[in-house]
Formats: sequence, structure tokens, C-alpha cells
Amino acid sequence: MSDPLIEVRGLRRSYGGGRTLLGAEKPVTHAVNDISFHVMPGETLGLVGESGSGKSTAGRVTLQLEPADEGSIRFEGREITGLGAREMKPLRARMQMIFQDPYSALNPRMKVGAFVAEPLVVHKQDAHPDRVAELFRMTGLDPAFMSRYPHEFSGGQRQRINIARAIALNPSFIVADEPITALDVSIQAQIVNLFQDLQDRLGLAYLFIAHDLSMVRYLCQRVAVMLRGRIVETGPVEQIFADPRHPYTRSLLAAIPVPDPDRPRPKREIFDVSANIPAREAAMAEVAPGHFVLQP
Amino acid sequence: MTFFKELARSKVGMAGFVILVLFVAVAVLAPWLGLEDPTRGSLRARMVPPDWWGPHPLGTDEVGRDILSRIVYGSRITLMVAGAAVVAGGIVGTFLGILAGYAGGITDRILMRLVDIQLAIPLMMLALLVVAALGPSMVNVVAVLALTSWIRYARIIRGQVLSLREREFVQSARAIGASGWRIMLRHILPNVLTPALVVATLELARIIVMDAALSFLGLGVQPPNPSWGRMLADGRTYISTAWWAVTFPGVAIMLTVLGVNLFGDWLRDYFDPKTRSAR
Ligand SMILES: Nc1ncnc2c1ncn2[C@@H]1O[C@H](COP(=O)(O)OP(=O)(O)O)[C@@H](O)[C@H]1O
Ligand SMILES: [Mg+2]
Repeated sequence: MSDPLIEVRGLRRSYGGGRTLLGAEKPVTHAVNDISFHVMPGETLGLVGESGSGKSTAGRVTLQLEPADEGSIRFEGREITGLGAREMKPLRARMQMIFQDPYSALNPRMKVGAFVAEPLVVHKQDAHPDRVAELFRMTGLDPAFMSRYPHEFSGGQRQRINIARAIALNPSFIVADEPITALDVSIQAQIVNLFQDLQDRLGLAYLFIAHDLSMVRYLCQRVAVMLRGRIVETGPVEQIFADPRHPYTRSLLAAIPVPDPDRPRPKREIFDVSANIPAREAAMAEVAPGHFVLQP
Repeated sequence: MTFFKELARSKVGMAGFVILVLFVAVAVLAPWLGLEDPTRGSLRARMVPPDWWGPHPLGTDEVGRDILSRIVYGSRITLMVAGAAVVAGGIVGTFLGILAGYAGGITDRILMRLVDIQLAIPLMMLALLVVAALGPSMVNVVAVLALTSWIRYARIIRGQVLSLREREFVQSARAIGASGWRIMLRHILPNVLTPALVVATLELARIIVMDAALSFLGLGVQPPNPSWGRMLADGRTYISTAWWAVTFPGVAIMLTVLGVNLFGDWLRDYFDPKTRSAR
């Protein structure tokens, strides 16, 4: 087996803490609390959990957009935690992020052509309009729109613009943070197809963040389920769907809409998150090859 | 061109705009308007009352200088000084506001303490101190007016930057490895130009009044060059015998400030996305 493209070990990140001016203690949020995962080259790992479970934080810290409190991140065989901006810069070309909200992800005062070309300019690569036009075509956009401003585009087109910018530097790894959540259902499938198409053509690996499992089976080879800053279950996607072990995973599976109304809906277990906060000393156990569950 | 279409729909905004354009046009064209020399008086024509169709439509002052001509030439100096001060204060204040908001930490704390300290000193006193210390030249007056102005930009822009900084396109710029300077110049600056422009119109009105006050106190542009504030100061001695010497410069100040304010109010609405989408 080859080496992972990116390997994250024992990652922690918390917000708050310290004291206010009056000396009161500020509450600490353990947004990401000791998580580990890896992504193989060309693979898609789904990171799934309810809103507030720490998925976005995990994505940002993995790309070192903000520092980790603890833990190690090895990217293409190299430890990247604690690297300075200058050492990070060449790596930034290899790893990119796509954001949840396609509206706030575009600079409203920048023409979309310039926005897509910016990574090339920053990394002193060929930012000729022909290259930008090629990126537009690769993501299903009409290059004639290069000199327009973001407000003239629909949500789906904006997400394509974000994707074009993210692939401009030929990265090997992309964190896609709920890239379809904000889009119309009719558009979601198109964008998912674009992700797959680009993966096939460019050999990209994705960390695909989602708040439910509906697109995950279709897009991901493996899944990690996150709850309150921890990964409670992870494994090959077929295995998780066939044999979910953690009650939270089961409740996520039950929540997937069933397209065929005649097919029996799996019985829905109500999952009470507050009664199921993973215990601090809980550890993962391998229940099947590659399938790990957090033990209560 | 939507700018002018929108402007035409607002009577008040249009009125302000017309007043401003008129004043600027007259100031620019002053040498070609066939006016008398504003600095040369005639002792035989002292304190002539206004005579709309005569040689001195707005009368003359105590040394026989034509008041209309002095107001027109005074507008050149006033508008130049105020314009330069607004631009200088705007550039410095916007830059420091962006720096404080984006860099945060110690830079932010130092800059904001500076703003607090300056806010605690009455502006007029600050201006008087500086001009008295450096001497009243045009450059010094511009500098001192800009000094009283930058904090207003800095505070408002900093607040805008604090929220812009969390927007995803700024994160995205960091994700591609863009430098802090690039992010501030290419991503933050274009998104704070609108609030900066709105502050600038408010500041322009305030600075015109302050410039008049400085010259009223004798700390502005030096005689014999005409300036509106100076005309007020000189004319007020004769207010009971020659009301025109103090009234017309006062009206000129009032009209300019009114024009700037009317136009500025409209401009703020024009750029406010909330009122914009309602249209
Ligand atoms: N920049 C931040 N400052 C303070 N708290 C944050 C910040 N980002 C996230 N959090 C907190 O961390 C937790 C996880 O947030 P997030 O990673 O956005 O979750 P998700 O993406 O799964 O919805 C939440 O409780 C959130 O309020
Ligand atoms: Mg999120």
C-alpha cells in the first residue's frame, strides 16, 4: 500500500479560554478534540457530522489556515505544523480549500477572471488569459464571463468559479467544506459530478465535508463521522452503510431521504447528542478491517 | 451611468450636487470671469453697498475691495485646502484603519489608543496648537486639518475590516498563500472604499467650517489672499454699518456646506446595499 497523501494525528483546536477584563473565565470550546485521519492520493474521504461538530475547524487546521493546539499533520510526507508563511507558501499550491458559502467566498469587487487567476499571479506562474479560459472551461464556465463581477452569477456558477480558482495551481488535495449545502437541490448533482470529473482528470484527493450522508455514498471511498469535536466512527463507505456501529452514525443513516416512497424507511432512532458526548478517555477500536468505532 | 440616473431621481441629492458643481466650476474659472483683482482695493470705493447691476454687485469691504471677487477667489483657496485635507486625511485614515483591523494584536491596540487620545483633545485646540507651533502656511493648515480627520476614517474602516476579515474570500486568499499586503490591497481596500467615500463627504463639510474658523482666528491662509473665514473676521467690525461685508462670505460657507451635506446624504443611501435593493 502506498503512503497517505495527508495524515493527521491527534489534532486539537479550541477557542475561547482566558479571562475577560473583569476576571471572569471565558468558556472554552473544544472545536476539534483529538482527531486522526488520513487521505490517500486520489481518494475522497467524507467528513460528516451535524452543524457545530467541528468539521470546518478540522478542515481549516488541516490546511494550516489556523494553527493547531496539538497534533501532527504530514502532507506529502512532510510535517507541516509550525511551518512559517514562507515555508508554507509552496505547499499552499498543493492544497486548496473550497468554501461552503459561494456568495461570501468571492470578492464582490474583483472580476471573476482576475479572481481565478490570482493564485497563478501569487505563485508567479503563467496567468495568461488563455490559461484562465482553460480553467473556466474545465469547470463548465463560459470564458466570455471572465470580465464580469460575482453578483452577475448564480450560486452554482459561483461555486464553479471557486473550484476553478482552487484547481488553478494543480493541487493534489482539496478540502471541500460543504460545497453543495448552500445550493439548490437541482444544482447539487451537477457540482458533485464536476468534483468527480475533476478527480478523474487531475487525480485530486478530497476531504469532502458534509452535514449528512446523502451524497457521501456516491462520492466517497471512506467516511469519518464527527460528533462534538471527535471522530466516533470511520471506515470504508460500504462498510459504514451496511454495518453502522455507533448510534450517531445510525441516526445519520436513518435521516437520509429515501427517493422511493414504497421502499421501507429504516426505523429512525432519535439520537440525543447531549446524552452522548464522547467520553474523554474513550478510544477507537477496530471492528472490521479499516472500520473503527469509538468505544463508549 | 446609473449614478446620474439615480441622482436625477433625488431632488435633494441633485440640489447638493448642482451647488457643489457650481462652486467648483466658478472656482476653477475664476480668472476668466472678468472679476476685479481681489487683493487690490480703492480708497475711493470703500464700503460701497451691494448694487446688483453696478461694478460691485455684492459691495466692497473697508479698504474698497470687491466682495464678489474676494468670495470667488476665496473659494479657490477654501476648496483646495479642504479638498487636499480630505484626501490626505482619507488616505492616511483608511490605510491605518485597514492595518489596525487586519493586523489586529499590538498594532491594533497602539493605533486605537492613539485615536482615543486624540479624541480626548478638542479638535480646535489641537489645530490651534499645531498651527501656532508650525506657523500658518497653506501646507501646515492642510496638514492640521488632515490630522483632525484621519481618526474618523480609521475607526469606521477598522470596524468594516473586522467583519471583512472573517469573510471566506479573505480566507481563500490566505489559502492560496497571498501575502498580508496583497490581501489588504486587493481584497480589503476595494471593499472599504464605499464607506471611506461616505466619511469623506461628511468630513469635507466639517473641514470647510474648520478651515473658516482657523482663518477667522488668523491662523489660516495669510492676507492679502482672500479666505472666507478671514472675510468674516475682518467684516464683523463693521457689521452695523456694512452688513454685506460679513453676510455674503457667511452665505458662501453655508451654501457649500449645505451642498456637500445634501450630496453626501444621497451618496450614503446610494451606496447602502439595503436601500439599494429596495429600489
Ligand atoms: N473562529 C472561531 N472562534 C470561536 N469559536 C469558533 C470559531 N470557529 C468555530 N468555532 C466554534 O467551534 C465549534 C465548531 O465549529 P465548526 O468547525 O464551524 O463546526 P461545523 O463546521 O461542523 O459546523 C462551534 O461550537 C463553533 O462555535
Ligand atoms: Mg462548517
